[in-house]
Amino acid sequence: MLDYSFDWSVLWRHPYGAMLIDGIFTTLKLSLAAWIIALGLGLLVGTLRVQPVRWLRIFGSAYVQIFRNTPLLLHLFFWYFAAPLLLPKTLQQELYDKVPNFAFWASVVGLGAYTASRVGEQVHSGFRAVPKGQYLAAYASGLTTIQAYRHVVLPYALRIVVPSLTTEFLTCFKNSALAMTIGVMEITHTAYYIDSFTWRGLETTTAASLAYLSICGLIIAIMTLVEKRARIPGLSGRRR
Amino acid sequence: MDLEVVTRNAGFMLGGLYLTCQLAALAIAGGLAWGTILAVARLSRQCWLSLPAVAYIHFFRGLPLILVIFWLYFLTPVITGQKLNEFAAAALSFVVYEAAYFAEIVRAGIQSVPKGQTMAGLAAGLTAFQLMRHVILPQAVRNMRPSIVTHAVVIFQDTSLAYVIGLREFLRRVNLVDAREARSVELYLFAGLVYFCLCAAGTMAGRYLEYRRFQGEAH
Amino acid sequence: MIDIRHLSLWYGRSHRVLSDINATIVRWRRVVICGASGSGKSSLLRCINGLERFQEGTVHVNGANIQDPKVDIHRVRAGIGMVFQHFELYPHMTVLENICLSPIYVLKKKRTEAEKKAETLLTQVGLLEKRNSYPAMLSGGQQQRVAIARALAMDPEVMLFDEPTSALDPEMIQEVLDVMIDLARAGMTMVVVTHEMGFARQVADEIIYMDQGRIIEKNDVAQFFDHPQNERTRQFLDRIIR
Repeated sequence: MLDYSFDWSVLWRHPYGAMLIDGIFTTLKLSLAAWIIALGLGLLVGTLRVQPVRWLRIFGSAYVQIFRNTPLLLHLFFWYFAAPLLLPKTLQQELYDKVPNFAFWASVVGLGAYTASRVGEQVHSGFRAVPKGQYLAAYASGLTTIQAYRHVVLPYALRIVVPSLTTEFLTCFKNSALAMTIGVMEITHTAYYIDSFTWRGLETTTAASLAYLSICGLIIAIMTLVEKRARIPGLSGRRR
Repeated sequence: MDLEVVTRNAGFMLGGLYLTCQLAALAIAGGLAWGTILAVARLSRQCWLSLPAVAYIHFFRGLPLILVIFWLYFLTPVITGQKLNEFAAAALSFVVYEAAYFAEIVRAGIQSVPKGQTMAGLAAGLTAFQLMRHVILPQAVRNMRPSIVTHAVVIFQDTSLAYVIGLREFLRRVNLVDAREARSVELYLFAGLVYFCLCAAGTMAGRYLEYRRFQGEAH
Repeated sequence: MIDIRHLSLWYGRSHRVLSDINATIVRWRRVVICGASGSGKSSLLRCINGLERFQEGTVHVNGANIQDPKVDIHRVRAGIGMVFQHFELYPHMTVLENICLSPIYVLKKKRTEAEKKAETLLTQVGLLEKRNSYPAMLSGGQQQRVAIARALAMDPEVMLFDEPTSALDPEMIQEVLDVMIDLARAGMTMVVVTHEMGFARQVADEIIYMDQGRIIEKNDVAQFFDHPQNERTRQFLDRIIR
């Protein structure tokens, strides 16, 4: 059946082994950088969606809808190809000359903004899950809106939302592979690239798959521990 | 802002939607069918059915789709001795991958059917297969429809990934035009608009269907 | 101290919750508000400290109009303590942290000072040993007593109670009522929405009976129970005191 001679040494042979390791680091850097943007922006978007001012709510919803109905790949292309054209000519030149890894940063921005919309949705449903009485109790004792959110609502909402945020991070991590289309040398691209030299695509993509699976597994294991510690006692039951 | 670029090439670009829709339709139908089988296997009490199903689901949910597309592209020639054409490779990858996600949706749908239904069906003498076919799945489907519609919209957007093996679906065509004309802003905004309208329309159609069915059932 | 004039509240176009409410709560008085479900009692309470925005009328607390944008509503709320039917303790904080939160951030007290006061209050309600427990570990009655301590930690001038015992199992009602009775004896101004007429008889100075958003009868305790003036009040009392 298998008319193919496996050559697994391609995975550690110089220079391919080092390339694969670099690819893994690039993936991790890309995912984490995008995730930081996604968390910050997502928190903002989610908060906007529960504001009493109608325009803020609409703005938040529009952000989510735009990203929900367009593919991530399109966003990456936009930030890499189209966005620099919107800058004045001088800044464009600066961008191409000074920034060494423009594709990487374009991916960070694109992936971050995209993931932010999903984080925003989770944050929004987290806020809605906080019982109204908690808001009333906080305001009744004289806390301002900001204080109430900071001490009562956010800690409560975020703990509810931690499991789905884990899933969103894993999605962000997997989505980092799309950056290969604009040239970023993350794991998947590295695997494909090595194949073009060695014709050992099967081995490299298998290695890449193992890399993704083990990192995902590790993250799930860590987050399960974090969730155990962050869980609010008594919150899994129904409200009396 | 040069809209001429868009209008001049619109025919070529929108022609890609034909492939996009074909690929999406295959992926949704195939993924749902295979995913349902996986879900039923996963819920089975027989270990030899449920363990492989669980392994399959966790495996594919832990990988990026783009990697699966490559992997299958390299793997199929080795196993079957022939090279697949781009469309077939993409379609196969999508079905194999999205089935893992549909499996979870179907599983949630099945588990949302009250346990009493199972007991009633078995008490009336139905076999497990009959029970699933006549009692559980119809009810499960009703519960899962919204999730399926949402995921179908996601798959429609995921078709853009076939880009990496050169399939000339919509986004790749936009990219080709951009390489020639270099009016990226107009072209990608156009692409965004097209995707947005189609996906939003799809979501709304799904919701409308829910509404209509719900009206019918209320009587 | 609290002056309510012509207060009206409605939702949408047709759902009237409160109609033309007039009442005055004088310092050191204990006022009980009773009535059937949906009579607007809880909404009235929430109007007093601005948790509910009403469309007509005015509410003045110590002379300040709470709907005047120049008035610092947070200051006003700091002087009014509120206890809720479902306790509403913050589940992610310990008992001690629950009680200290507002004194630290609203009254700007130092943590040690706030904690000392919190422990005094916990002793008063009989729950000092629970100070490091989380709300989920306490019974309903214990949670409500903590909620009362939390409201008292702000040194309020008046305490509002919104059906404080309605969500409790019967055997826990008395422990909460006992705390409220002690509070009344110590001279706290209280407005209590409740069905516990025994408590009302014992502690209240004045009773307001509401139905469908209106005040049907307002009277001193003795008069209210012995000589109800309105027919609906009579029917209500007959049903309750059986």
